[in-house]
Amino acid sequence: MIDYRRRMRANLAIAVIGLVLFAVFPLVANSGLVFLAGLVAVNIVFGLSWNLLFSGVGLLSFGHAMFFAGGAYAMAVVSLRLPDLPFAGGLLLGAMTGGIIALVFGYIALRRASGVYFAVLTLAFSELVHIVITKTTFLGRNDGLVGIPRPVINLGVASIDLTSALAYYYFIIVAMAVVAFALWSFQNSPAGRLIQAIRQDPVRTAFLGTDVRSWQLTAFVLSGTIAAFCGAVMVPFAQIASPEIAYWTVSTEPILFTLLGGAGHFWGPAVGAILFGAIDYATRALYGLSEITVGMLLLGVVLLMPGGLLGFLLSRRTAARRLTGSGKRVPMANAEKAT
Amino acid sequence: MVDIGLTVFNGLAWGMATFLVAAGLTLIFGILHILNFAHGGFFMIGAYVAYSVMLAFGGTMPLWLYLVAAIAAGIAVGGMGWGVDKLILRRLRHVEDAYSLIATYALLLVCVGAVQLVWGLNYLSVMPPPALNSVVFLGDMFMPTYTIFIIACGILAFIGLEIFISHTEMGRLIRVVAADPWMAKLLGLNVRRIYLVTVVFSFALAGLAGGLLMANQSLSPELGGIFLLQAFGVVIVGGMGSIRGAFIAAILLGMIESFGTYFVPQYPGIFFLVALAVILLIKPEGIMGKEQTA
Repeated sequence: MIDYRRRMRANLAIAVIGLVLFAVFPLVANSGLVFLAGLVAVNIVFGLSWNLLFSGVGLLSFGHAMFFAGGAYAMAVVSLRLPDLPFAGGLLLGAMTGGIIALVFGYIALRRASGVYFAVLTLAFSELVHIVITKTTFLGRNDGLVGIPRPVINLGVASIDLTSALAYYYFIIVAMAVVAFALWSFQNSPAGRLIQAIRQDPVRTAFLGTDVRSWQLTAFVLSGTIAAFCGAVMVPFAQIASPEIAYWTVSTEPILFTLLGGAGHFWGPAVGAILFGAIDYATRALYGLSEITVGMLLLGVVLLMPGGLLGFLLSRRTAARRLTGSGKRVPMANAEKAT
Repeated sequence: MVDIGLTVFNGLAWGMATFLVAAGLTLIFGILHILNFAHGGFFMIGAYVAYSVMLAFGGTMPLWLYLVAAIAAGIAVGGMGWGVDKLILRRLRHVEDAYSLIATYALLLVCVGAVQLVWGLNYLSVMPPPALNSVVFLGDMFMPTYTIFIIACGILAFIGLEIFISHTEMGRLIRVVAADPWMAKLLGLNVRRIYLVTVVFSFALAGLAGGLLMANQSLSPELGGIFLLQAFGVVIVGGMGSIRGAFIAAILLGMIESFGTYFVPQYPGIFFLVALAVILLIKPEGIMGKEQTA
């Protein structure tokens, strides 16, 4: 229990430090970079939601774009058609849309499919959502929905004006920090522990009396809900919901973040999302360079350091401590848990 | 009647074009048990290579040159397969399924990036050779000769592969290794070499398909992804690495897609996906596949 409190404080500190770093970023960067930073913040939680499935219950989803797009489009439709609805209502509806999509498709996909088959099924479902969006007039077809307003939150006594991009940026980073820490808390709750047990040994966990399928479905719905929340938060920032966010390349983004950063660590996707954003920005001048760089890095990670960047750095630190004999001797397993 | 004939024709065209891409994919899936995302990327590189060969000969070309360009693309991409097996696929054999799937996706990204760097972002379009640029009438039904050519290529590719797999020494060895690599090794077979031959052959098929199909669509760096999902569907519905299964699945899914689009024209592309999901749920091991434990 004491150990849990210590780890909780450490991870809360990580979330707060991340929030502070993102908060001071606009002081040193121009508005274009701040916009990118806002997208990175959304991507961090998008990546975390995907890793809840991958490292949580051991499911490889290739269709997370459908949740992200589901949340984004729900938010866009609500803001354009029901302008009187409070902003929080739009966010809630957006998140719920992702949850419902996940419940329906997850219920079907989890009945039979596992491993590669599950990956291809989620890919197919996601493409289905993409086609439906591009062919439905109500959702703007290939043009998407444009001109989505940023909200003014009315709290009765005072109102918070989020109509400027900078104000909305601050809303994003606070919301993302809160969700990220909530996700950490969930993964370290008894339910989260049970979900991890399912990944490590589904048969044995089932034997202990756990309904593995329904827990997998629970994780799938939770993951979809959070991914959709990210989409819903992103839409007023970009002020457009375009069908590209439902395309399957978006589904692969959280995979890239997670693997680059390190799937075995809770904050791995965060490191990966920041790295990915930096690579994308640094290579923007030459078409194709960004894909080659990210592809090569990802290959290197899978072939040479499966723990990702964070896993690599942490294992180096542990090894160095062991070699010098200074500091506390932290066995590998504990070092991993500590993050 | 004409409508039904045309719908069947379109379904066949979809099926054979997809089969051309899926043939190489199913070979690797059957023997290495890797679902190779990069296949779409190398298919695309094949199309671009064939395009460049054609440009070098002046642009408009007779049928034989079109075929030469496609074969050149097959050889070039087959050579890339040799490098990819040595550098990457060989190392993925003992890696978890999820990670090897992601590694091949990384390779697809590299392909897409390379195509953007070498050929640029613009859409390039290729006219079919003059000999294939006409229309055949069957009663009231008109059929483009290029589409007939693709259907013929698909059927020929299927027959060729069936003969290769069932009646040649190498084909038999490939089947042996697919069935039990450990036992094959005990019997003194050079399993590594057979893997290499399979990969090179599969990549060469991807390149050839790219060359043959290049006139069917405009070339863009997105080309890899467009055919990939269809080919995935065909391979998985067909069953683990079964050429015959993939061929049947290609026709079946092509017909479903074609008839679906005929009856509900608002949503083209959707019926293939729905059919894929339904078939995977009823028979996850595929129509020609054996029961699996995974």
